[in-house]
Amino acid sequence: MNPTIHLALRSQNRRQLNITLGIIKQYSSAKGQEVIIPKKIHRGPTDILKALASTVQPDLTAAHYKYHDDPYLIPVSNVQKRSFALSKESGRKAAQWIRAQNSELFQHKVSYPPVQVFYPRPVYDENSEVDEEVLKKVIDDVLVSDAIAVYQLLQNKGQSISESTKQSFLELLCFYNCEDTLPEDLIEERWFRHGGSHKDKQRKTWKDNGLAENVFRSLDHPGSPAYCTLLQGMTRFFQVDRAWRLYQETQARGILLTRDAFNSLIRVACYLHEGNEHRWQLIQELLTAMSKQNITPDTETLNAVLEAVSSMGPQKNVKTYALRALSEFKHVGVQPSLASFYFVLITFCKERGPVSSILVDIMDAIEGQTFNIQNPKDTFFFVTAMDICRNHLQDINLAHRVDKLLHVGNNYDLIGDSFKESIYYRHYFVLLCNMEPLEVFMEYYNKLVPHIYIPEPAVMEEVIKTVDMNGAAEYFPKLWSDMVIFDHTERANNVGALLGGMVRNEPQPSSDLSDKFTQIAWNAWEKLEVNANEEKYRQFRWTGQMLGDIMLLSLRGGKFSQALDVLNKLEKDQNSIVGVPSIEALQLFTDVCISQNKADEAIKCIRYTADAGFSETGMLAQQLSGSIELNTEQLTRLTSIVGQDVIQSPNITSVAESENNNQ
Amino acid sequence: MSAIAISSKYVGGRRDVKNIPAVIHPSVHPFSSDMFNSMSDTEEFRVLDLKQKKQTPFRRKFKKQDVMPPRTTMMPVDQDWGNVWPGPRTFHPAVVPLPVRQGYNEKDAPPGKFGNAELMKIPNFLHLTPPVVTSDYCHSSPDIRNPLARIVTIKVKLGRLPLNKHARDKILRLVGERYNPENDVLTIMTDRCPLRQQNLDYAHYLLTALFHESWKIEPWESEKSEADMEYYDWEASASRKSVMRLLSWSPDQDAVQISADFILSDLTEYKEAISKIMNEGEEEYTLNRYKEEVKKLLSLQDVSSTE
Repeated sequence: MNPTIHLALRSQNRRQLNITLGIIKQYSSAKGQEVIIPKKIHRGPTDILKALASTVQPDLTAAHYKYHDDPYLIPVSNVQKRSFALSKESGRKAAQWIRAQNSELFQHKVSYPPVQVFYPRPVYDENSEVDEEVLKKVIDDVLVSDAIAVYQLLQNKGQSISESTKQSFLELLCFYNCEDTLPEDLIEERWFRHGGSHKDKQRKTWKDNGLAENVFRSLDHPGSPAYCTLLQGMTRFFQVDRAWRLYQETQARGILLTRDAFNSLIRVACYLHEGNEHRWQLIQELLTAMSKQNITPDTETLNAVLEAVSSMGPQKNVKTYALRALSEFKHVGVQPSLASFYFVLITFCKERGPVSSILVDIMDAIEGQTFNIQNPKDTFFFVTAMDICRNHLQDINLAHRVDKLLHVGNNYDLIGDSFKESIYYRHYFVLLCNMEPLEVFMEYYNKLVPHIYIPEPAVMEEVIKTVDMNGAAEYFPKLWSDMVIFDHTERANNVGALLGGMVRNEPQPSSDLSDKFTQIAWNAWEKLEVNANEEKYRQFRWTGQMLGDIMLLSLRGGKFSQALDVLNKLEKDQNSIVGVPSIEALQLFTDVCISQNKADEAIKCIRYTADAGFSETGMLAQQLSGSIELNTEQLTRLTSIVGQDVIQSPNITSVAESENNNQ
Repeated sequence: MSAIAISSKYVGGRRDVKNIPAVIHPSVHPFSSDMFNSMSDTEEFRVLDLKQKKQTPFRRKFKKQDVMPPRTTMMPVDQDWGNVWPGPRTFHPAVVPLPVRQGYNEKDAPPGKFGNAELMKIPNFLHLTPPVVTSDYCHSSPDIRNPLARIVTIKVKLGRLPLNKHARDKILRLVGERYNPENDVLTIMTDRCPLRQQNLDYAHYLLTALFHESWKIEPWESEKSEADMEYYDWEASASRKSVMRLLSWSPDQDAVQISADFILSDLTEYKEAISKIMNEGEEEYTLNRYKEEVKKLLSLQDVSSTE
């Protein structure tokens, strides 16, 4: 082509290119926008696992994952749950013990980088080489007895210890009162520890003139940290007198205290004075002293104040103190924790006191929030709240709200231990049983029982009574099988209630429920009578009512021989059976005897009826003599029971009269 | 007072005491000790034993615990199976609510699921029921990551898209090999982005762009020549010109103008024959037809028929 045309074309192309670029820029959506690169989210080591776990909802028919998933190995009673979990942990402890016994066999490197817990724990005796580094390490690992041993070794050798190490050692001793605590990896033991440790704590357990105080005195210049530590230790273990003296010493010497020290003093204010006004005054003094040192109060301060107020007693002012504390601290900007609410609840909702609906206000304030553990008493909140819903307020909607809060996020961790969990669910369960319609309640029953909560015998009795009242006979088989599995069959109340319920709610003849009822009755009979464990001190006492019910159910199911066995027992053990069966049962028995032409059995029944003192005996005898042909021997027997004229005369007079007449 | 039958175990574990058969009469009084009563109620002499056999320790009669029925009986029908079996797990008969049978017995039915080792050995996919499977990418690998999972294929039937002739022609030129004329399907496969969703979005974008572009008429499209045509148009072809010239040839230059209609009316079949060859390809049928049409046009007759 012509070069000029080339050039012309090229420039034309360039112009066109520029035009095109301009057009692209006009239509491009990224015009004027900067690209914002988001900040990197730092993932923890288990975040993937947590994300995976969040995709799976709980499986309601499965037991807790710590139990082996097998019908024979799933626990179905509280005793079993405890023993299975603890036995699993005892295996771990046994392994640890073996490792400790044979520590020379476990010195090889197991992992890289080295994991400290895989190696056996060193034992410190007279021969071991120790120095201050060892002491520091042992203090960091929170091994109290080992730390004490190392310290004493160092003392014996005459080695000096730096002040900072002594301070940390003092802190360790004061926090644990020179005693070892349950290791953190023994989770099952901690879970099943119950409130045992809590109950002792109300009395003074501080070791007077113990190692902690020695260490304190051995410090050259005990400054504020040392005083604070010793103060907190003494108050933690309720040595309030010495703590108070120590506090006065610090005030005299002008030693500044930390926030935690003040909190610990406030907590035990009630032990320091009598009389609520004095106590409140003391709390205020301490708070003023705190503010003089320019220490701002925090959640623990609020908890300490409320704890002190909650142990003040049933006076009228106490509630105002609590409310004032709450509002003032809120004004300062302190967020209350669940422990604060717990203390408020026990202050307001006392057993013998006016009904207080403060829980409603509390729930309004904390609905839908997630909580972390901030104070050991946080775990008491949910149990107490449910207790108040059931006993104090009898409010099911509030209970639902509390339960919903429990299941928000990780709040379930704050249920505490197994004891609190079972009490929580016991209250919830009974409230549901009493307040909700039966279908709704049975939904909760199927959801919670048996893996989350196992009802106590008393609760089970309530359930049976409710089902009985509602006439929902179809639940009786399930309740009986649950009773058998949970081992409630030794309780006469429960069995009696169940039997009575089955008798009262006679099912339709078309359904197979009546067969099931007969089976259940016979099962109960067999368990409690035939297979009774002869070794065990038998607390179970038959009542006449229960035996009558069994007889009635057997007859309704057409099992005459079973009914006969029951009657034999009734007769034989008359003196030890409390009460008598219902006349309905005996009537039915006689009728069946008549229809099956069994005169001897009928006469036996009538004799028992007479012994029991029923007025209908005469009527029964008349029925018998009227319907079956009795031979002379039977007739004489019958006559000896009820009297001549009763049989012959159609009108019935009372048996006693006729017997008197005969005699 | 009838005697009480006891097994030898209860009598301090001494096995040498004879079992006295008697009627069982359970004692009602809770404080009575059956063991002591039995001693006084034996009706025969106890045999004096001087050898002092070893006393076996008193062993509690093991009470058989009542066991819960397997979980399957308590599972509601509408439960979420993904929560019960979230990951790969050995088959567990008490958890799987299906009456599965596996194995072979000579005389019986295949064995059931309880205690069935075969069911436990084979792999099961109970953790991959349809509600749980969220991806539609299938692969088999020990690793759950697979770089090929990002590839996305979209198939569209062009007949469903509103295209006129020009648009259809243009879109076919744009996509090239991605179009399958047999079933009128346009396949777009994308893998240039690292994630599946991104590739999907890109494929959608491509489809939208293609569609809109095919409807636009660019100015340079008017330069389409006969060589670019996608179908054979006889009306504009050289064949028509030559046929017309042939048919309108006359020995005199100032020709008799035979009416165009006369020529054209005869030529529709010829046109169809040629168009068929050009558009559909050379086959025996099309070639034969062309041959017939040419013979008709040139008024040639079959050699065989003249004889």
